[in-house]
Amino acid sequence: MTQRLLDQILAQPQTLSVRFQPIFDLQPGGSRVASLEGLIRGPKGTNFERADILFDYVRRKHAEDEVDRACITAISKAVAELPFDCRINLNVHASTLGKGEFVEFFRTQMHELVLPLDRFILEIVEHSPTHNVPGLISNINALRQLGVRIALDDIGLGNSNYRTMLDCRPDYFKVDAFFVDGVSTDPDRRGVVKSIMCLAHDMGGTVIAEGVRTHEDLSTLMRMGVSSFQANLLCPAIPPQELLAKDFDGMIKTEPAQSRASHSRTYSHETIDSYSFHN
Amino acid sequence: MTARILIIDDDEQLASAYREYLITRGHEVDCAQELEEAQTLLAHFPYSVVVTDLRLTRLGFGGFDLIKYIRELSLSTRIVVFTGYGWPEVTAEVSAQHVDAFLHKPTRLAEMADVVGTLTGAPR
Repeated sequence: MTQRLLDQILAQPQTLSVRFQPIFDLQPGGSRVASLEGLIRGPKGTNFERADILFDYVRRKHAEDEVDRACITAISKAVAELPFDCRINLNVHASTLGKGEFVEFFRTQMHELVLPLDRFILEIVEHSPTHNVPGLISNINALRQLGVRIALDDIGLGNSNYRTMLDCRPDYFKVDAFFVDGVSTDPDRRGVVKSIMCLAHDMGGTVIAEGVRTHEDLSTLMRMGVSSFQANLLCPAIPPQELLAKDFDGMIKTEPAQSRASHSRTYSHETIDSYSFHN
Repeated sequence: MTARILIIDDDEQLASAYREYLITRGHEVDCAQELEEAQTLLAHFPYSVVVTDLRLTRLGFGGFDLIKYIRELSLSTRIVVFTGYGWPEVTAEVSAQHVDAFLHKPTRLAEMADVVGTLTGAPR
């Protein structure tokens, strides 16, 4: 029975597989891995191995809160094993983030693993309207006080709308692949991306383009002024052991944030291929 | 004709047996044990045929809700109701839902495969 599988995930978060996908900051003067997004795959051999199916099911079962916590637990344990000190992105439903006890859960979890809270970026995924907006805003403020940063996922789609932007005041605006895919040939898509860039600029945030599939789209976005990218074109989500095997030419920071610049490297359009780490 | 099939039954072993048999007939087959799992898979994959039990929850006949859900998603998906509940009122309700076939449990593997084969090969 499926409920049994869900119960198993909640009781033993280690049955979830953890993947990490780098978010690159590609700059003409020096590029780096800005952060690693922790991603989850369901138990192998089940219908829930694919994350989109797992979380669709979780939302239908109204189990977002418990499963988000299990995922955060699984990913943070994997993070504790990594030799990198870079920032980590974690996904969380707005409904989970708005729960009264979430801040304490998050603080305790990271404290137990001796992980500094200011390493984390919480990515808010919005698949349904948020009912407890005051609770959400209050927890975001409390987490910000602890050094946690906030990203808004799937900007422009579903409930990741203007209202949510104003409620959350994100530090990172993640533009969905829907708007990014084909941006080099579609002026209307460029218009949408430009408007998000303008909003992000005015709100003091950073735009991250997700799901770039072609070099043409990547170049177009860079010319428009986008520098942060998360895409299979550059590197897919990979297991921790694979991440360790790749050194990304030293682009993942392994020391405190203050000395981040020492690991930057020169970027040119000719070296886009060198950022593809599929092998 | 090869098709993508979804079998929905809370009896995991039974569903698995039908799945294995339909795979030998060249079909691609997924199984779901409960309403929400079935709805999730239906939202992600275009199934040609859905074979569903009617009793999907401990409290009631979730299968009827599922049939309505399938019809909202796609008019072209063929629906086979597969149940041990052959009561007249259930049969009447199934007829009212315009399903494509109604099989009573237990159904032989070959009979199920023939029904699925007919539905996937026939134009709608």
